[in-house]
Formats: sequence, C-alpha cells, structure tokens
Amino acid sequence: MSRAARGTRRRAAPRRGTARAWLCFLGDRPRTLLALGCWSLLQGGQTFLLGSCLARALDEGFLAGRTGAGLGWLGLAAAGVAAGALGTAGVQRAVGALAEPLRDALVREVVRRALDGAVREGRADGTAAVSRLTHQVEIARDSFAGLVLVAQGFLVTLAGALGGLAWLAPVLLPLVAAPLLLGLGLLLWSLGPLARHQRALLAADESLAGAWGEVAAGLRDIAACGAEERAAAEVGRHVERERRAAVALARWGVIRTLAPAVGGRGPLLALLFLGPWLLAHGVSPGELVGALTLVTQALLPALQSLVNGLGGAGARLTVVLTRLLDSPAPPRHRPPGPPPRGRAAPGPAAGGREAAPARRAEPPGGGAAPATGARAGARGRGALELRGVGFGYGGRAAPVLRGLDLVVPEGGHLAVVGPSGAGKSTLAALVAGLLRPDAGEVLLGGVPATGQPGAPPAARRVVIPQEAYVFSGSVAANLGYLCGPGTPGAALLAAAEAVGAAELVARLGGLAGRVEPAALSAGERQLLALARAYLSPAPLALLDEATCHLDPAAEARAERAFAARPGGTLLVVAHRPGSARRAARVLMLDGGRALHGRHADLLARSAGYRELMGLPPVPPAPPVEAPRPGSDPAAGAGYAYGVDAVAGAGLADDGGQVVAHRSLGEPQGPGDLGHGGAVGGE
Amino acid sequence: MGRSADGLWLRTARHGAARAAVLCLASLAGSVAALLFPLALGRTLDALLSGAPAAETRAWSLRCAGLAGAQTLLSAAASLLAGTTGARATAWLRRGLLRHLLALGPDAAARFPGGDLITRATGNAVHAGALPAALGEALAAPAAPLGATVALALLDWRLAAAFLAGLPALAWLLRSFTRSVTGNVAAYQELQAGLAARLVEALGGARTIAAAGTSRRERDRVLAPLPALAAQGRRMWRINARAAGQAAVLSPGLQLAVLAAGGLLLAEGSLSVGEWVATTRYAALAAGIGTAFGRLNLLLRARAAAARLGEVLAEPPPAWGAARLPQAGPGRLEFRQVTARRGGREVLRGLDLVVPGGATVALVGRSGAGKSLLAALAGRLAEPDAGLVLLDGVPLHALERAEVRRAVGYAFARPALLGGTLEGAIGYGPRPLPPGRVRAAARAAGADAFVGRLPEGYATRCAEAPLSGGERQRLGLARAFAHGGRLLVLDDATSSLDSATERRITRALLGEAGARTRLIVAHRQALAAGADLVAWLDGGRVRALAPHRTLWADAAYRALWAADAAPQDGASDEASAGAPGASSGASSGGAPAASSGGAPAASSGAAAHAASSGAAAHAASSGAAAHAASSGAAAHAAAHDLANGTAHETANGTAEGAADGTAGGARRAGKRGLR
Repeated sequence: MSRAARGTRRRAAPRRGTARAWLCFLGDRPRTLLALGCWSLLQGGQTFLLGSCLARALDEGFLAGRTGAGLGWLGLAAAGVAAGALGTAGVQRAVGALAEPLRDALVREVVRRALDGAVREGRADGTAAVSRLTHQVEIARDSFAGLVLVAQGFLVTLAGALGGLAWLAPVLLPLVAAPLLLGLGLLLWSLGPLARHQRALLAADESLAGAWGEVAAGLRDIAACGAEERAAAEVGRHVERERRAAVALARWGVIRTLAPAVGGRGPLLALLFLGPWLLAHGVSPGELVGALTLVTQALLPALQSLVNGLGGAGARLTVVLTRLLDSPAPPRHRPPGPPPRGRAAPGPAAGGREAAPARRAEPPGGGAAPATGARAGARGRGALELRGVGFGYGGRAAPVLRGLDLVVPEGGHLAVVGPSGAGKSTLAALVAGLLRPDAGEVLLGGVPATGQPGAPPAARRVVIPQEAYVFSGSVAANLGYLCGPGTPGAALLAAAEAVGAAELVARLGGLAGRVEPAALSAGERQLLALARAYLSPAPLALLDEATCHLDPAAEARAERAFAARPGGTLLVVAHRPGSARRAARVLMLDGGRALHGRHADLLARSAGYRELMGLPPVPPAPPVEAPRPGSDPAAGAGYAYGVDAVAGAGLADDGGQVVAHRSLGEPQGPGDLGHGGAVGGE
Repeated sequence: MGRSADGLWLRTARHGAARAAVLCLASLAGSVAALLFPLALGRTLDALLSGAPAAETRAWSLRCAGLAGAQTLLSAAASLLAGTTGARATAWLRRGLLRHLLALGPDAAARFPGGDLITRATGNAVHAGALPAALGEALAAPAAPLGATVALALLDWRLAAAFLAGLPALAWLLRSFTRSVTGNVAAYQELQAGLAARLVEALGGARTIAAAGTSRRERDRVLAPLPALAAQGRRMWRINARAAGQAAVLSPGLQLAVLAAGGLLLAEGSLSVGEWVATTRYAALAAGIGTAFGRLNLLLRARAAAARLGEVLAEPPPAWGAARLPQAGPGRLEFRQVTARRGGREVLRGLDLVVPGGATVALVGRSGAGKSLLAALAGRLAEPDAGLVLLDGVPLHALERAEVRRAVGYAFARPALLGGTLEGAIGYGPRPLPPGRVRAAARAAGADAFVGRLPEGYATRCAEAPLSGGERQRLGLARAFAHGGRLLVLDDATSSLDSATERRITRALLGEAGARTRLIVAHRQALAAGADLVAWLDGGRVRALAPHRTLWADAAYRALWAADAAPQDGASDEASAGAPGASSGASSGGAPAASSGGAPAASSGAAAHAASSGAAAHAASSGAAAHAASSGAAAHAAAHDLANGTAHETANGTAEGAADGTAGGARRAGKRGLR
C-alpha cells in the first residue's frame, strides 16, 4: 500500500518539475510566442471569414439574385484563405523557432549527461549516446513541433469557428459548443489510457528489438549451445507481447474515431434537428449554411488532427523525453558513501601531512594510532601514500583491495603487476582519485587523492589510461591539452621527442598537422597521449597499461622518459614483464594477496611472480616473508627511493595477505574497515 | 531471390486476406456513407428552407443522423481492423523470420549483419505486416474522391469541370512539397553526424577526461557544430513554412472555385441551396485524391519491406538427419576431403584430418588459413562446400541437430553472453543448468573470483556487467566446460587472457577428468606446445600433423610464431610456453633449457609428447593415453593427470623423456609425472 503511494508520489514529482520546465522554456521566448499568436490570428481570421462570407454570399448574393455580390463575398473568403496561408507559413516559422531551441537544449543536455556519465563510470556506450543524439532528439523535436502545431491549429480553428458562429447568430453557439465539449471530454478522458498503451507498445518494441539483437549477435553461440528452441521461445514471447500491445492500442484507437464523431458530427446533427426552430427564430438560411460549413469544413478536420496528434506524438514525446532526461546512467561501480571530503578518515589527515612519511617504525597493531604515529624517519614527503586502503564494488561483491598500505616517495618508480582482475586498475583509479576508497585513505603529496578545494587532483597527478584519448584537431591542441594553450611549440616537440613520438608528429605534419583519430593506430594514439601527459605539470604520472599497444622497445623508451621526468614520480600498471624489471620496486597484486619488493627479490621469493614474469613458477615455497619495515631492502641497496611496507600490519602475520581475516560485512560507516592496521588494529 | 520476395508479399497478403477483405468492405461502405451524407444534408437543408412539412424534414434529418452514425461505426471498425490485422501479420512474419534465422545457423545468417537483422525484424516487419491492411485500404481509398468527382458531375458538369481545372495545381503542389523538404536534410544530417562523432571520440577518452577534469572543455568542443546545426534547422523550417503556406492556399482555394461556380448555378436556379452545400463537401472529398495516392505509397513501402524479409527467407537452411551417435564414442573427429569457400575464396581445399578420440589437437596457421572455419565445421556451425565431417564415424549432416549440439561444445574469442544473468550465461543451453554445475565450471575457467567481486555476483545481468575481454572469454570457457560433450572446440578462446591466467585455465582444461577430444585454435605457443598434436594449416590443407616440438625443427613453422612477440629482455614467452611444468627444486630448470636452444622444452603442465619412429605408443593403462596421429608419421603420448585437476607439476623427467624421442621415454615420463 504505502509502497504504491510512494510510487505515485515519486512519479508525480518529476511530472510537476517537467511542467515547470516547459513553462520556463516557453516563458523565455516571449517574442516567439507573440509571433505565434499574431500569425495564429491570421489563420483564425480565415476560418472566421469562411463561415461568414459563405452566409453573406448566400443571403446577400446568390439567393438575393445579386450574383456579383455573392462572388464578391466568395472573393473575400479567398482573400482570407490567402491571408490564412501567410499565417500558416508564419506559424510554421514560429514553431520552428520553438522547436530549434528545444533541440539545442536537448543536444546540450544529452552531451552533458553522456560525458558526465562516461567520466563517472570510466566507460561509455557510444552507440546509445549516438542514438540519443541523432535519433531520439529528432523524434523529440518533431513530436514537439507536431504537438504545438496540432494544438495551435485546433485552438485557432476553434476560436475562428466559434467567433464566426457568434457573429452569424449567437444562438448557434451553444448548439455547436455542447456536443463539441462532449467530444473533447471524451478525448481528454481517453488520452491517459491511449498514452499508456502507446508507451506500452514502444516499450514492447524496444524489448523485442533488444531480444532480437541479442539473438542476431549470438546466432553462433546459440547454435554452439544447442539453444535454438530456447532462443526461439524466448524471442517468441517478446513477439507475442508486442502483438498484444499493438492490438490493445488498436482497440483504444477506436476512440480516435469516436471523439471527432461526437464533437464534430454532433453539432451538425444538432443544427439540422433544430433547424426549423432556428429558422423560425431569426436565423437566416445563409447563416445556417455558414454554420454547417464551419462545422464540417473547419471544426471536424481540426478535431480529427488533434486526436491523431495528441494520441501519437504526445505519447512519443513523453517517452523520448523520459528516456533522454529522466534516466541518467545509474552510477555503477562507485562505492556508496558520503560526498567528497566527508569520507577521509578523520584523524591522520592533518598530522599525516606534516609528518615526514617513511617506513613504518613498528607494526601498527601494537596500539599506536595506525598510519599517524607510526611514521618516523625523514626522507622527504611521500609523493603517494596509501593508508589501510580497502575497496570493493559494493553489494555482495568481494573486496578487491583490503588494508593496503603503500608509500612511494618523490621521484619513485613503482610497477604494479598481477593477473587480470587482481585489482591493478582499481588501484590506479584509487590513486588517481577517480574512486574513493571504502576504507583508509589515498594521499597525493599529503592531500586526499580525490582533491580538496583549491587543489584539484589534476594538478597533482596525470593519468594515461590504456585507451588513449586523441581528438580531431591539430597536433598542438592534442599535445597541449593538459598544459594550457600558452605552451611554446619547442616544449611540445621536446616532449614528443622524449617519449618517442617525434617521428609520428613529423609525419602528421608537425604541430600544425591535423589529427584524425580514426586514421591513427592504437599505438600511435598512445604515443600522442604519452607526449601530452609528459608535458603535464603534475608531479605523479600514472601509466595504466598506457603502452600496451607499443612494441617493447618503444614502451621501454616511454617509460624511461617518464621515470626521468624532472621531479617526477612514476607508477606503472605493467602490461609486460619488462615494465616490472625497469621499475625500482614492484607491487604484485594477486587474488587478494599483495607483495612488494625489488624485481630480483620477488623473482626469488614468489612462484606467482615468476609465473607472471613468464618464468616457471617456483614450487610452493615457505610463505614469502614480507620485508620487515626495519629491513627495507631498498634502503640497503642504496636506492634513492623505495616502497615501504606494503600490506601494512597484516603483512608480517599472514604472509603478505592484504585481505584481512574477517568478513567484509555490509558497507557501514566510513572507515569501519580495517583502516591502517587491517588485522588486530582494534 | 526476387521471386521469393514476391512470394512473401503474396503470402503475407494471403495470411491476412480475410481480414483485409472485411477491412476493404468496411472502408468502401464508409466511403459510400460519406458520399451519401452531403446529399442527405443538402436534402435536409432544402426541406428546411422550403418550409416542407415537419415530418419530411425530420425524416431527412434522421437519414443524416443514420449516415453520420454509419460513417463513425464503419471508420471505427476499419481502424480496429487495420490495427489488429497489422499486429497479427507482423507477429506472423516475425515468428517465421525468427524460426528461419535459427534454422539457418550462424554460417548462412552471417550474410546479414546483426544491426541489419534487427532492422528487418523491427521496422521492416511492421511495414510488411501492414501490407494486408494497406492493400484493403488502398483498394477502397479511391472510392471517396472518385465518387465525389462523379457526384459533382451529376449535380452539374460545370462543377466537376471547375474542380478538374484546379487539379494540376494540386498535383504540382504535392510534388514540390516532397522535393523541397528533402533538399537540405542531407546538410543537416551531416552536421549532426559530425557532432555525434565528436561525442563518440570524447566518450572513448572518458578516463583521460575524468582524470584531467576537462569534461566542461570537452562539452564545448563537442557542441561546437551546434550553432551551424541550428542554422540549418531554421532553414528547414523556412522551407517547410513556404510549402505549408502553398498547401494552405490550394485546397481551400480549389473548394472556393467550385463554390463560386456553384453560386452562379444557384443564382441561375439550376442548383438548390442544399445542393450548393453538398458541393462544398464533395469538393473537399474530391480534393482528398492526394491522400488516396498516399495510401499507394504505403503499399509500395510494405512491398519493399516484405522483399527485405524475403531475402532472409530465401536462404536455404541446412538439412539435418535423424541418426544418433554411438554410445560412449571416444569423440573421434574426421575431416574427409573437405572443401570450403568463403567470400569467393577457397579457404579449405580437399582437407583431410583425423583428430583421435580423447586427443588435444591445436590448429595453427597464418591468419586467414581457415582455422576458425575448420573449427566451425567440426560442430556444423558452418557447412563444407564439399567433403565430409564425421564424428565417431557418423557424418554430421546425418545426425539430429540436438545430437550434434549435445556432443560438441564451443568456446570463442568473443563469446556472446546470452541467458540474461552471468549464471544464465554460463549455463546457457537447451535448458538451464543447476547452479552447482555452473559454479564448478566457473571455477575451472577462472571466472569465479571476478564474478564474486561484482555487486550482484552470479545474478548480475550480462548487459550490466563491466566485463573486460578476458573476463568475457573466461565466462565463455565456463559455458563450454559446463556444456560437456565428447568434443570441445576452443576457437582462440584464451587470446585475451594474461599468460598466468591462461596457463591456469589450460591446466584445468587439459587436466580435466573424463577425457574428451579437444580442438584448439591457437595463436600462442603455450597452447600449441600443450597440445598432443599440432595441425598446421597451410594453403587450405593440413601441412603437417605432429607435436609442436617436432614441427619446431621446421623454419617455416617457427616463422609462424615470429609475431608472437617475445618480451625483450630476459625470459621469453617461449620459455613460459614451453616449460611451465618445472618440478620442485628445479625452479630455474625450464628457463635455461628453453633459452639455450631457442626451442621449447616439450612438456606442458599436463601432457608429455614423444615423437616416435612410427609405431603408436600406448600407455593408457597407466592413465596416460597415447594416440596415433592419422598421418602415421608421428606418435605421441599424452599424459593426463587425472588425479589432480588443477595445480599440476610434471616431473622434471618429462622433458628429458620427451627429448629422448622414444615412446618409452614418454611413457616413463608419464608415469613419473603421476607419482
């Protein structure tokens, strides 16, 4: 019960909003509306003149034996027709002036939603967006224009006809108006169910197209699975559903003939049956004929097009507008949680920024506030720091990352490796601030990765994803995308040279050359994206399989360029083993386990790592000892940078397992998942 | 094809013939009522104006009411009939198309791209389904305007003359209207396409834009062509306005001309007032001739749509037999003199190949060599142009369709996930599989973990699951594993997996209990090396059938793998492919062996091969099965670890044994591997 009530309320609310939006839209265009009104007057004048002139032509012309006067009155009606035609043309232009801004507004909205959705989700359905942008927006525009034209046409004809009747003989007015109102009432009553059935048919059409599309694209798989009968039955159900919806709509379509019959033929019969009385009460023959003509030639057709227009275009417009505007892409793959800045764990943010991040002095399970007090040593502040980071994709999903601690100092070079699905890209998205951790925090230069007021994340890191983005435009525009338009050409060229894109830039015709994304190979696009990212002022570069379409040599060159970027810190989500070999430190993610260390050390220690590197796996060896904080091999080996304490507190206890031994539970308040000290922290 | 398209249009018409006939009659009756009505109206008026007795006026008024009622009822009936006839015929066409499409199978249906098939099933089917109703209405449509013209002539020939004089202008208007509107539509659509292209570009770079925080800038960039589009749109409206204005002059102008002529006759006394009023109505009805022509257009469109459906129906579906496979056959697959042409090219040319029951055979060859086609032929997803494909001695075309589908399972490089949810997709088949079997298959294919990480787990809808290519492949593999059957065909089904995952899955696959025959299209050496035999396709035939390591001696064979880019520094993919099965304590044993010779050590996680001089080695008793290759040149022993389906370590000795080149060595190795 209450759910139903809620449902109606929810449905009613946007409808009110929609109505207001329409009023605003129309209210913003007073001049167009005025023009529409003026041209409508001309059109209405035509209807008015038609009835009146016919009456006069009869009464004062042909019946009175004055043929010339009769023809004169008909001539006046013809002049009215000409003026009405001008009005019709003007009305069309005015409706265009309403429909075009509507189309513009819809296009803007569709583009905004598509981009925002894609940016939020990190991926997008291009086909759907194109269909919305071209097909559906056009349907909305045409339906809207059709509706306005039909409604305007009816109102104008109605006004002209009623005005004509009143001028001929006011007594005629109620005779025509009463059945007309009855017909209109019938129409209004039927609009709701008619629109509902129209929507049901459109929905059935769409689900049929969807099911059919699945079958058409999966014929091979259906055959391979031997599921022909099943597929036929499933799609057959959609076919049947569509047929039923079409028949139901056809039944309601009968209203389309009934409403004009009552509203248009009713007045006609009223005039005929009451004819003797009317003629006896001072209505002239000409006036009666004029009234009959107005009803048959003006009102009835206008009513018919109103019925057709409202039933079809109206329902189409609502359906399409709902699709375009009321159904934003559901925000999937985003942890539910409070808005930005509300999520970061309360304690460590401030202190953490001050303290010089370094290795964990002791396992935080010891009771000290995790991550905060645990810092000692001074090695410059960490370019990137993860504290007890946990992340899952919500719902019943198993967590991807859990209790992950990590510090990469300025100038550090870390490679992240692991089999597909191990959470490498999730980690990259967390570091980039594109995802918010469920637990713990991700700090870039001491500031949360998701950004703070005045410190947009784009200023602190640059992300180069696997699918390189280049756009139609000049080479210079593509390269300078992240560093502003004022960058000197020499700098652009130097960056291209550094990452190995110089030859490509030359081939495209230098900085002024045009980039046609479709004409470039995936590798060439990656080169341009790399050169662009190289120019970014952000200190941390995040290569998320950004070189996967390059050959190994080109990949090595690009990675070395980024590693040598002045003051630059580099995090590489590795596609090939080479990336791990080049990195100072390697973080391996594998099914909830995380290991870190130098390439050589991991090779010696981890079977999984050997396998990832394309080497025979080491047999089940004694559990890999995670480096004790105090014995960071990087420091000993004289590296200027290193990765500290991966996997945090749990590390020493359970052999590098990032996933703590307790159930995830439902996502509760912020920071309730083993923040920092994943195991034994509390 | 044209003939059969015509056939479909006739059959569609026949399907709805009865209803269409009733519809036609109803429309005709409606037209008659519409033609009689002005006459009755005129008589009523005349009776009224001449002061005739009240009874007579009333009688005529009642006739008018009766005719008005008849018109209403008849048009309501016609509208209902048109709607239901169309819905029925559309559903009938769709069912026929669906049945035929599924009977055609993927091979024949591939001639029609997916989007094209959707258009045929949705828009075209509706248009074609409208055919019976359109036919009925088109037959009845000219009645009203023609009848009205005749009525004008009957009233007075000069009225008809006045109307016909204006007719050319009406025709000119109809033509100019259609022409002017199509004028600048092309320019508009081009601008629109440009805008859409910019949007698609930006959507493709969503992650970059998200990271750089430049979505506002991107929005401006995408919307840059909008002003030009709006200008073009306004131009369209101006053209529309001119055409609409012309239309608004002509039809009422024509009626007024007829009325003026009528007025002269009225003044002359040869026309009554009532007839003059009827003239107005007849002129309007006669001007409706344009609409009648419009119906003809509808009919033509319906016929064209029926022809498009007919194209699909004209493809002959493959015929199936009624034979069954022998119970508990080993799954021996044989190609006999198979020739297959695709795209005008003879891809396979008299190919002979025998895949021994229970063996794993890798299909290798350059791209375009026909590997996928051969894989499709194995389960009759494609038809050979000549030759026979036999499964356990029975030609595939003699078998029942369901029998073939049961016996042969497939996994593809880009599987289509049907069945709604991920659970349904893995269990997709003639009927849904129990959850337990689905889970087990998912685990074997390495899909269990990532499915578990999705918010809805196995209940996630396929369309909403964010799946990478590799994850999709693992679901496809899980489906094939769950399917069972005596022959499993993997058509490049692990190409998007990273090497570690691929290895885990192939281990599960090759180590799977209940050995079945496996045909694997391989692009990576790991798979070729792991198979019992490699069938090397070249020039439309099997160039060689032998273990990978035997073939490796051939430089041309090695060249096949040149593109299989080895990682630059250090250990190569070959090493990873060739020697995954290093045993305990010999962690580095495999790698040097591989890199030193450049050839892969001939052992995989689950199989050991031995090339022998000719005799078939057999070691089935020890759990390792050896199969004679049909060529007779090579024999090999395949050791399947049946005891341990997942993690499998072959004894170090396997490589040595295989290197001996003797069946005995292989047998020894197999035994050792089983310890």
